[in-house]
Amino acid sequence: MIAFIVRRIWQAMLVMLVMSMLVFLGVFVIGNPVDVLISPDATQEIRQRVIAQYGLDLPVWQQYLHFMNSLLHGDLGRSFVYNMPVSELIASRLPATMELAVIAILLASVVGIPLGVYAGYKPDSWLSKAIMALSILGFSVPTFWIGLMLIMVFAVQLGIMPAGGRGETVTLFGVPWSFLTPTGLHHLALPAINLSLFKMSMMIRLAASGTREVMLTDTIKFARAAGIDEHTILRKHVLRLISIPLVTVFGLELGSTIAFAVVTETIYSWPGLGKLIIDSITSLDRPVMVAYLMLVSLLFITINLAVDLAYAVLDPRMRKGGGK
Amino acid sequence: MTTPLLEVTDLHTHFEARSGTVKSVDGISLHLERGEILGLVGESGSGKSITGFSLIGLIDKPGRIVQGSIKLEGRELVGLNETELRKIRGREISMVFQDPMMTLNPVLSVLDQMTMALRAHENLSNADARVRCVEALRQVRIVDPEQKVDFYPHQFSGGMRQRVAIAIALLHKPKVVIADEPTTALDVSVQAEILVEVKALVAELGISMIWISHDLATVASISKRIAVMKSGKIVETGPAGDVLRAPAHPYTQLLLDALPSRAKPGQLLGARARETDASDESDVTVAVEPDPDFVTVKGAIKRFEWKTGFWGRIGERLGVVKQKKAVLAVNDVSLSIARGEALGLVGESGSGKSTLGRMVCGIYRPSEGEIRLAGAPVMLENQLGRKLTTKVQMIFQDPFASLDPRRTIGQSIAEGPIAHGLTTRAGARSYVAKWLEAVSLDPAVADRYPHQFSGGQRQRVAIARALAMRPDVIVCDEPVASLDVSIQAQILNLLLTLRKELGLTLLFISHDLSVVRHLCDRVAVMYRGRIVEEGTAEEIFRTPKDAYTKMLLEAIPRLA
Amino acid sequence: MTATLSKPRTSFGFWAEFCRHPAAVAAAVAVVAIIVLAVFAPLIAPQDPYDLSNLVLRDARKAPGYVGQGGYIHILGTDSQGRDLFSAILYGLRISLQMGLVAGAIAFTIGALVGSTAAYVGGRFEAFVMRLVDLQLSFPAILLAFVVAALLGQGKSQLIVALVFSQYAYFVRTAHGAASAERHKDYVEAALSVPMSGWFVVTRHILPNALPPLIVVATVQVASAISLEATLSFLGVGLPPTEPSLGMLISTGFQYLLSGRYWISIYPGVALIVLIMAINIVGDQVRDQLNPRLKK
Repeated sequence: MIAFIVRRIWQAMLVMLVMSMLVFLGVFVIGNPVDVLISPDATQEIRQRVIAQYGLDLPVWQQYLHFMNSLLHGDLGRSFVYNMPVSELIASRLPATMELAVIAILLASVVGIPLGVYAGYKPDSWLSKAIMALSILGFSVPTFWIGLMLIMVFAVQLGIMPAGGRGETVTLFGVPWSFLTPTGLHHLALPAINLSLFKMSMMIRLAASGTREVMLTDTIKFARAAGIDEHTILRKHVLRLISIPLVTVFGLELGSTIAFAVVTETIYSWPGLGKLIIDSITSLDRPVMVAYLMLVSLLFITINLAVDLAYAVLDPRMRKGGGK
Repeated sequence: MTTPLLEVTDLHTHFEARSGTVKSVDGISLHLERGEILGLVGESGSGKSITGFSLIGLIDKPGRIVQGSIKLEGRELVGLNETELRKIRGREISMVFQDPMMTLNPVLSVLDQMTMALRAHENLSNADARVRCVEALRQVRIVDPEQKVDFYPHQFSGGMRQRVAIAIALLHKPKVVIADEPTTALDVSVQAEILVEVKALVAELGISMIWISHDLATVASISKRIAVMKSGKIVETGPAGDVLRAPAHPYTQLLLDALPSRAKPGQLLGARARETDASDESDVTVAVEPDPDFVTVKGAIKRFEWKTGFWGRIGERLGVVKQKKAVLAVNDVSLSIARGEALGLVGESGSGKSTLGRMVCGIYRPSEGEIRLAGAPVMLENQLGRKLTTKVQMIFQDPFASLDPRRTIGQSIAEGPIAHGLTTRAGARSYVAKWLEAVSLDPAVADRYPHQFSGGQRQRVAIARALAMRPDVIVCDEPVASLDVSIQAQILNLLLTLRKELGLTLLFISHDLSVVRHLCDRVAVMYRGRIVEEGTAEEIFRTPKDAYTKMLLEAIPRLA
Repeated sequence: MTATLSKPRTSFGFWAEFCRHPAAVAAAVAVVAIIVLAVFAPLIAPQDPYDLSNLVLRDARKAPGYVGQGGYIHILGTDSQGRDLFSAILYGLRISLQMGLVAGAIAFTIGALVGSTAAYVGGRFEAFVMRLVDLQLSFPAILLAFVVAALLGQGKSQLIVALVFSQYAYFVRTAHGAASAERHKDYVEAALSVPMSGWFVVTRHILPNALPPLIVVATVQVASAISLEATLSFLGVGLPPTEPSLGMLISTGFQYLLSGRYWISIYPGVALIVLIMAINIVGDQVRDQLNPRLKK
């Protein structure tokens, strides 16, 4: 077990190193930030000074080494646009995105899994068919379009929900959170629902197909033959058997939700990382792009690692070696 | 005896499908006395399993009991609602299934699964439940139950898993246990142990049992009374001895005649075949040059190694990762087959017999050692495992998996001969027709796809495909293991006839000793990758020398 | 191939089963209808929305049913520049479908080739390719597409590259999974033991049998490529304004949504959703029918 973790952490570090090179190279070819940084009227002298100041005159590999060196010292560089340390900039935006993504994925799981299990358990009932039809709808409608509709109906037509922004926040552990205040929750509701609908559909479909397959196995027939009631069968046998793919998806989707927040945050003017990355791409703010992509990589690798560990907890066959 | 424990009268279970109604159980009546084991025998599709599920009230949709009565101690079970049925299941009637790999939940411990079954009918504390589970495991002869109760299914062998399933079925000391092919998925030696234990348990607990099986011999060795099923009906019931000695129904007779264990070795199976048996000797037999070392296997070893990545190797070096051991599937085997001989290769699952067969046929390259056919190697050595000869071909166990579902059987049969110049594209049709006739199939079926054939027919197609390559040697890997006895008899007859007509050399791999004895001249017994005993069929079966061979022979269930 | 022996595969069972599901049939009909509409858009559309001479500013942002200067009845209204929205949607469908299908076809080809080769060759090549694919798959498609699209800039071919890059890995993994499952089946071993050549076994046995799951993935991926394209265009990193796909139409209508001129944004959205959903329903049904674990 420890060996397994050690090996995975080694792998993760290697992957991070490769990612850092890819990200750095990718961002390097995206365009020349000099044009954005310096006004065209500036004298040649000023241009040279600014270029030298940001180290843009050095070859790529030197810039990379320089970047890695500061990274190891906890320095992610300074944003060209905001002119502040990238780490501070990201730290100020991260909580908003995290709370949005976590609430969305929890909502998707809490609502999606029971609906999916029901639809898989009674695939022929009209309610199940309705659930499955809705899940195809949710799976098909692009997130940004749902966002527009929600705004149109709840903010424009009914006027009961705010169309954007984050509302009040309270500081907990030195971080501002909005889900703890009434106006914050009010502002959070629409974007969180928007973000969760696609994931909810995925959870429903996954839980439904898993349940359907499990219900046809001899394991369930044998449990019924022992007189075990349906509720216990669903709760103990079925849920445990479908939990492995569900946990994988939960993990991966948590990551992808943070990425998808790009769309939702744009629509709802949510002051999170998604908006930051869009702005930094359009304004060629290299340090922010690099830091964001590295952060996302780190997040994904951590989540993958956590998912692998969750496997070991959920599936005894992986825990104690041996077996087939 | 006033009322029997269980009485079934005129039971009909039908499945309403779009294509029409399937009468899986079509008016059967049977009764079960206290303390009795009733054997229910039938081939696949006879409705024997559906009968079992009807008794316990677990019929998959769209099936339902349309008529009849099931009385347990005089109480009618047909028409009870789901809640009432659930109270009966597990407590009064319980069931054991065929494959213990599929019935136990792989992600729950044995204790969890047993506790759930206990709590289905009783309220008890965790501590009490544990005591009861340990006791139940001890009852089914599981060693060290205090520890084993916390194990997960994958930590048990197949036989042990089936014991756990039996323990679960016995938890509430039910009146009736329905056992649906409980030993079919197990090796003969394990089957023999379980048969003895179940017999003892039934006597000890005073329960009754319905033992469902396709195998007459297994049923005969465990039950006093048997019922024979065919197409949803019971054709014959009676004491086991009487039914087997003097069957009253022609179907029972047919089943018995199909058993190789009741026939003289080499004789064609089945009643009609026996009459023409004498004239068989006059059939054209191909004269072959005698060659005692036609196929030779010298010091063959097959190792299956785990791939270890870069970090894995570093981990091993540092001692943080346990080194995975290579599996020695075949461990230093040498044997030879004479030209025209049939060598039987016998062993239980995991003995390495299939791997050895695949090496002889040139599918796997031996890790060490050499395999030659008529003096020439079967495979190019030290290359990416290229097979050099077309003179050795193979017939596989599962006829459903061994034919490409997307190619017509004509294409499947013709592709090899065309690629190796045995026929031309233009001549393929008549060439295929010739070989389909050789296996008694209508040449007109060449344009059909495998799914349009039954299992037995597919196995004929597979034989035709192998023959069309005009091989000298055919490796048969359990070719009849997944077929019903009556179909098995037909395929065995076909192999016997073809072998004689074409002068084939056979390597016949099987777990079924009676089939091997019937078909083969010589027998090699494999155990854990090695050949433990080799000799003529007569020697091995009459005077086995090796302890493992003796055990195997003793484990075969016998007819009365 | 033995021409004398071959005959089309009987797949009546498959279609009969498919036809028993009205929703799936309706979806299949919808997909075909949309493709026809898109292909023949220039013939069907009442107006060429990109012929600038047709545009009259006075017609801009009119509600559905408005009779414009050109004498047309704008059944779905007009957009911010006075274009007939129905015509714009038909042309938009053309672009969206084109993007989805081209990207899907390229990703399919790359995936089938790389995946089945990896499964057949095995060893280090397989390990390397699959590790790479797994790594890429753990990143969300939208992020990859977004970054690549941003790197390459706006344009049709740039967008196709971004879509292919974000989707090929799904095809590789599916093809690899299906092909390696077939690789160890008895019929493949039977063919190898004849012996038949590796090329014959891959092209005649393994690929045809690995195709069904790939086709299912393809339908889902085409749908998701269309959705992705719309999303990217909405975010402004997709197609240039000269290639107005449905996503672009929705995006330009967004600003009028808040002022109550719902149609400019909603109708293109409805067209987009009907298209994606129809493809997904068909794919869903095919997947269910191909799932061996749901067969009793």
